[in-house]
Amino acid sequence: MTSLRDQIKLHEGLVYDRHAYGKGPGWDPELIVEKAAKPSPIEAAGYDLLSDVELEIFYHKMLTIVEEAREVWQNLSISDIILAGDMSTAIFTPSGDLAVASTGIHFHALLNYAQSKFILKYYRDDPTVGLNEGDIFFFNNPLAGSTHAPDMFTAMPVFHEGELVAWAEVGGHQGDCGSVSPGGFNPYATSRFEEGFHMAGVKIGEKFRIRKDMLDYLCGSVRNPFVFAVELRSRVATCLRMRDRILREVERRGPAAVSGGLRRLIDRSSELASERLEQINDGIYRSILFNDTIGAEKGLVRIPVTVIKEGGEMTILVQGVSPPNGKGPVHATWHLVRASQAVYLFAYFFRGLMPNVGLFEPLTFLIEGPSVANSPEDVAHTEGTIISAAVVQCFHIIGSKMLFDSPFRENVSAPFSRNMVALVFYGSNLFGYRATGLTSTGNGAGQGARFDGDGEHSTGFYWASMTDAGEVEEFDARYPFTIIARGLLGTDYHGFGMYRGGSALIEVSMAYPNPVVMTSWGTSDVISHNPGLFGGYWGPPNPRLTITKNDALKLMAEGTLPELTHHSLAAEQRLDGEYAFESSSVNPKEFEVGDVFLCDTGSGGGYGDVLERDPESVMTDLREGMISADVVGRVYKVAWDEETLAVDYAATEALRSEERRARIARGKRFDDFIGGWLAQKPKEHLLTYYGDWPDPRVPGYDKPFWGEHD
Amino acid sequence: MRVRITEYLDIDLERELWCCNRCGGDLISAREPYKRGCLLYERNPREIHQPISDHPVFNYSFDPDWVRIIEFYCPHCGVMMENEYLPPGHPLTNDIQPDIDALKRKHANGDAS
Repeated sequence: MTSLRDQIKLHEGLVYDRHAYGKGPGWDPELIVEKAAKPSPIEAAGYDLLSDVELEIFYHKMLTIVEEAREVWQNLSISDIILAGDMSTAIFTPSGDLAVASTGIHFHALLNYAQSKFILKYYRDDPTVGLNEGDIFFFNNPLAGSTHAPDMFTAMPVFHEGELVAWAEVGGHQGDCGSVSPGGFNPYATSRFEEGFHMAGVKIGEKFRIRKDMLDYLCGSVRNPFVFAVELRSRVATCLRMRDRILREVERRGPAAVSGGLRRLIDRSSELASERLEQINDGIYRSILFNDTIGAEKGLVRIPVTVIKEGGEMTILVQGVSPPNGKGPVHATWHLVRASQAVYLFAYFFRGLMPNVGLFEPLTFLIEGPSVANSPEDVAHTEGTIISAAVVQCFHIIGSKMLFDSPFRENVSAPFSRNMVALVFYGSNLFGYRATGLTSTGNGAGQGARFDGDGEHSTGFYWASMTDAGEVEEFDARYPFTIIARGLLGTDYHGFGMYRGGSALIEVSMAYPNPVVMTSWGTSDVISHNPGLFGGYWGPPNPRLTITKNDALKLMAEGTLPELTHHSLAAEQRLDGEYAFESSSVNPKEFEVGDVFLCDTGSGGGYGDVLERDPESVMTDLREGMISADVVGRVYKVAWDEETLAVDYAATEALRSEERRARIARGKRFDDFIGGWLAQKPKEHLLTYYGDWPDPRVPGYDKPFWGEHD
Repeated sequence: MRVRITEYLDIDLERELWCCNRCGGDLISAREPYKRGCLLYERNPREIHQPISDHPVFNYSFDPDWVRIIEFYCPHCGVMMENEYLPPGHPLTNDIQPDIDALKRKHANGDAS
């Protein structure tokens, strides 16, 4: 019998199960694509020492260690992004595999193994480097396994009487990495050499202390040296706390039991993941997204995802992707696409299972390269998360379709909002020191609608659970800008459906008390990465808006500043000033004191047919300003009394019946529709970086459904 | 025996047919993409997502030069079963291709969820 996997044909001449680039100084992609290592001697020796009950207790002990470490780091750090939760703390096996991760950015923890494994293979026995108790390692090089240069990872080996028993590691976003653009995101970068410093498993400290020369080098390479120095020290302190706690457990249980226990946690997760997969219908599932920018220029880019689920295994195939363009930073790496899937897998698909690398063991990732999803070596990489997140969004849609007919329907939803317009500021803050970094509005993403209810507003960071958008007063103090309004009101600015998408946190900020340099990057200016599910409409696009030469400061002084919402600024333009609606990808530019910025991540997609939304919920949306009266009638087909807002149920049912009849009248049979549809094509200038139309890798593709290559 | 696969789609296992979950009407063979059994309608996205600002391009709505909505309706009751946001002319998505034989075995063995 032919397996489902055999029905999929890969394109010749491209790579899928490995990176599109080879080995280099400080990186070895073959190490990165490996699954969990076979147990090392100490892991094997201790593998069976703990009973099942003891293993459960051991896991919770380890979990308290990483959760405590998370608290330690956040309490010591003065980096706003770490305070907001864009970070992770984790314990790795002696072989370098993720065994226990804190809440936070799980995909960070899934990348950190790259440096431990590289160190073990290449530096441990190198007399010029070595691996000793008290060593501190650091890496941020995307080619060596990082996300992008602003994501930085710190690792310390944990030794007991000369034997390596574990690794304590932390990872998180930093405010600056010495890139051409403040904050590290340079939408106009054409090569990785414009994206700041790149370190790959560098020993920056020995004997539990950071080397002064390395600290000076790093701080001298960034725009925020004070923040960076405090931040780096807080990372090391966090690793030290984890080390202390792990060693207490070693003293209690013995080194082999700890190392073997960590390894067994990985295998246990793998077994549970396979068991869950066995309960889900076999089949082939697909979803597709398009990007509208390569960074410096607008252009269509295709990101299709196919998932083949068979028994206790699953293959994630990213094939038919647009080729690398070398003209911008929207290039992901093989490992980034794989690790990013933890955003969906750990929070939804495998919810409730121990989040470690074992959950990835039953999965095979085939990511076509060279492409924007599996890019070559020298392209710019900083915005590769746009591509890897698009794969996540597709996977989320696919996963929801897989889980609906399963015991796990509770995890069915449209994805989180992910229409980035990330504003990155640089300037002096109220304390007088230089600060740079992203706003935390990204941490207030709207949830996609769920199978049994509306999406929650401002739920959290797309990339992680347990994040915080930060207190306004904290931001005012730490950042070189002031927040003058925050809220959820984006009228008609979410996905409509039987259940509607949640709204993102919408923030209005101002350059104050000093001028600032601001750059921005993102996607979804004219299309969207916030899909709906089962007929729900999508969350809309999200371009950038700045308002210069405005009267906000004057109105604030007078006490007459109007309510500032997405709608009052973007639609009603309640401030006098020069409104600039533009692409989210803009080079650094100076802004004067008083200039105003609007920032959010778009809103979640809807679930189900709009005609099935409870009319009372529609009226609640109207009362709360979530939708306009126009949408009530035009989209939801609800009749109501404009004075009392009472629903006229009979008239509503008549309107909805009429619309269903209209659909049947205007809808075309497939064979009558498809020829006319396929005869269309986007304008040529939109396809400059797309590859062949409509399949970037298959010239002349003419089938009605994509992905049918036979 | 009918199995509910999505919010709007059932599969009749004996007859191997996609069916509408709302009205029970037949769509097409379950070994074909269910979208072949739907009614299809191409929509300018700005009919649903009306521009919020007056900028011609960057207005918080979809640009119809870049993307169109295709809506898939049940031919019997008119419920919208799914939609796609695609560049004009891009092939459609065969989003759910269940292994029908495995599904039948699962339900014959009585181990369905």
